[in-house]
Amino acid sequence: MSVSAETKIGRHYIEALRQRFPAAVLQEEWQTKDQVTVTVKLNSLPEVVEWLYYDQGGWISVLFGNDERSIHGNFAVYYVLSMEAGVKCYVVVRAEVDARTGEFPSVTPKVAACVWGEREIRDMYGLKPVGLPDERRLVLPDDWPDNLHPLRKDTMDYRVRPEPTSDVENYKFVCDATGETREVPLGPLHITSDEPGHFRLFVDGEDIVDADYRMFYVHRGMEKVAETRMGYDEVPFLADRVCGICGFAHSVAYTTSVENALGIVVPERAQVIRSIFLEVERLHSHLLNLGLACHFVGFDTGFMQFFRVREKSMTLAELLTGARKTYGMNLIGGIRRDIQKAERLATLKLVGELKKEVTELVEMLLETPNLAQRTSGIGLLDRKIARDYSPVGPHVRASGFARDTRADHPFCGYKLFPMPVRTKDTCDVLGRVLNRVEEFFDSIDFLERAIAGMPNGPILVEGFKYTPHKFALGFTEAPRGEDIHWSMLGDNQKLYRWRARASTYANWPPLRYMLRGNTVSDAPLIVASIDPCYSCTDRVTMIDVRKGKSTTVPYSEIERYGRERKDSPLK
Amino acid sequence: MLKLFKTILKAGEATLKYPFAPLPVCDNFRGKPEHQPEQCIACAACAVACPANALTMSTDAEAGTITWSFFVGRCIFCGRCEEVCPTKAIVLSPEFELAVANAADMYQHATFKLAQCSECGEYFAPKKEVEYTADLLKQAGMTAEAVESIDHLLHTCTDCKRKQNVPEAHQVEFTRYLKGNEA
Repeated sequence: MSVSAETKIGRHYIEALRQRFPAAVLQEEWQTKDQVTVTVKLNSLPEVVEWLYYDQGGWISVLFGNDERSIHGNFAVYYVLSMEAGVKCYVVVRAEVDARTGEFPSVTPKVAACVWGEREIRDMYGLKPVGLPDERRLVLPDDWPDNLHPLRKDTMDYRVRPEPTSDVENYKFVCDATGETREVPLGPLHITSDEPGHFRLFVDGEDIVDADYRMFYVHRGMEKVAETRMGYDEVPFLADRVCGICGFAHSVAYTTSVENALGIVVPERAQVIRSIFLEVERLHSHLLNLGLACHFVGFDTGFMQFFRVREKSMTLAELLTGARKTYGMNLIGGIRRDIQKAERLATLKLVGELKKEVTELVEMLLETPNLAQRTSGIGLLDRKIARDYSPVGPHVRASGFARDTRADHPFCGYKLFPMPVRTKDTCDVLGRVLNRVEEFFDSIDFLERAIAGMPNGPILVEGFKYTPHKFALGFTEAPRGEDIHWSMLGDNQKLYRWRARASTYANWPPLRYMLRGNTVSDAPLIVASIDPCYSCTDRVTMIDVRKGKSTTVPYSEIERYGRERKDSPLK
Repeated sequence: MLKLFKTILKAGEATLKYPFAPLPVCDNFRGKPEHQPEQCIACAACAVACPANALTMSTDAEAGTITWSFFVGRCIFCGRCEEVCPTKAIVLSPEFELAVANAADMYQHATFKLAQCSECGEYFAPKKEVEYTADLLKQAGMTAEAVESIDHLLHTCTDCKRKQNVPEAHQVEFTRYLKGNEA
């Protein structure tokens, strides 16, 4: 897509960048009027990213590698920065990595938020981030062969399952504690949830000194499947299945990324319908988390009531899309089903009922003394840590940062019907709960406005041209924060590269700091407060550093202790 | 506390009688796809559109048949098959109880005969699809006699058509009927 010079939003960032690092910028390319990719010299990569991040108010959205050897002979790494101070746009810093050495300078020592991304590039492409402080595997299992990097174009078919190379778990959990601690493993897994995780808490008595965790036990290899087996117009249905709760947000992010790359203008009516579905998704997701908040503070009646009322939002989804979850409504270029008058009326009725019933339930929840007692001042996400790690969603908004993709980079219907950004400055679990409560009512309000003021017109455009090797970003604000996708088209009606980053991916790294200084009984509460696509961490191992003793406790026991705070399993 | 009891009282019983009473779903609910073999022409449009590969086609060149297969275990209920079907042979039903006692019951098959090329005798397309094409031409305004006269073209495989194409170039004018006689 060609973008004229006047309409380029954020071109001053690039001008300033050229001035600051005169020799570094090799190329700049605009994908849309507020998305630019600058190719820089490999050696200036860390400085450029650091300067954009800390000096210019950027946040790391996602970073990823790409095997571009068949295009120009090199690998490439992309660092996507969401610029949010003053002029808001996306700046993607790209650098080419020599295919023979496969080395690039790590950005993590300067910008901590890059740590997971660089570990993943290392796993998936076998590129070496020189100077990366944490060289453990992130995505690949411990028993995966050493030189098999799944996303390289010439390594493996997506159906290959290599033999395990080791029978023992050899992942080293990191503990920064100086004194002696007891080790509490939470996990490893319970396959009822999409992403089990293993937590290891280092405790001194009841206090958590440090924490570390291992995720990706059930990495599904969706990016590989999308790139090799599926057509680019079939991927929206796969993206729907990235998450069981916020799948629609992912499929919107994916379709927008392709639409941005090909310069497809989606009709306004389709855009508003997309954001209506997104808000319906937020309703049921936030009600789920509020229910869980009740459950974790020992107020199970509240949990039951929230889930009873939540059923209305599920009915709403079924009514509008034909499915309670995984709506399957997106196509490249628009949406598959219109909202008719009868459905609009039914929606307004259900939304009205939800508003009334949830108002009562929330009053009840806030009057429960348990809630404030258990959540106030717990699981603090320090503002400095938040700034360093670029978390998203209610998680970062409760620490006082007004980051919301719907307001920062308005997409879909949020251009027509703007959303307010809610923040809290308490930085604790309570702040996150209250933030979700406010956002729930904003969504209700949005649905009422959008249903009443839906623009007329078509809901799908067809007849666009598939252009090889075009790429762009697509983004949404899912209930848990920004979901961001980057797609590059291939030359075979498929994708050359698809990078999908779910919001929780950005929220895990700072969790370690939030657990520190709290007690074991608060751990489930803190983990739940980031509303992870709940990793059923069904067991906990506790390691007492002072006694040098390790115990494994079922997760249900820890959870019970979290609610009742009696009969500590540590004794 | 009193408020809580009031809410509970007002909520009444939230538990449904299901499975002892039927569970109604919304009008537009997307459940298990229902296939009508009488209506199907085995054109394979659904198999091409299916993102999950739940729908597949397999040809048996020996027996001269083509088999349409549906595996509900892979189905994602997106309804793309329904959208692309030219004869409305496949429609999503409100059916959502999909558990079976026998794994083989998750498969459905429908086998159709293939038509033989009138020149080389090879099987080249589903018989019903060829018949459907003839019907479409009649629908588009060609007389029954005109369709009859190009019958051998309809029953020729692409390879043989290509070979015959040059000598028969003067006959290509029949396509004018499709465009509504604009010369």
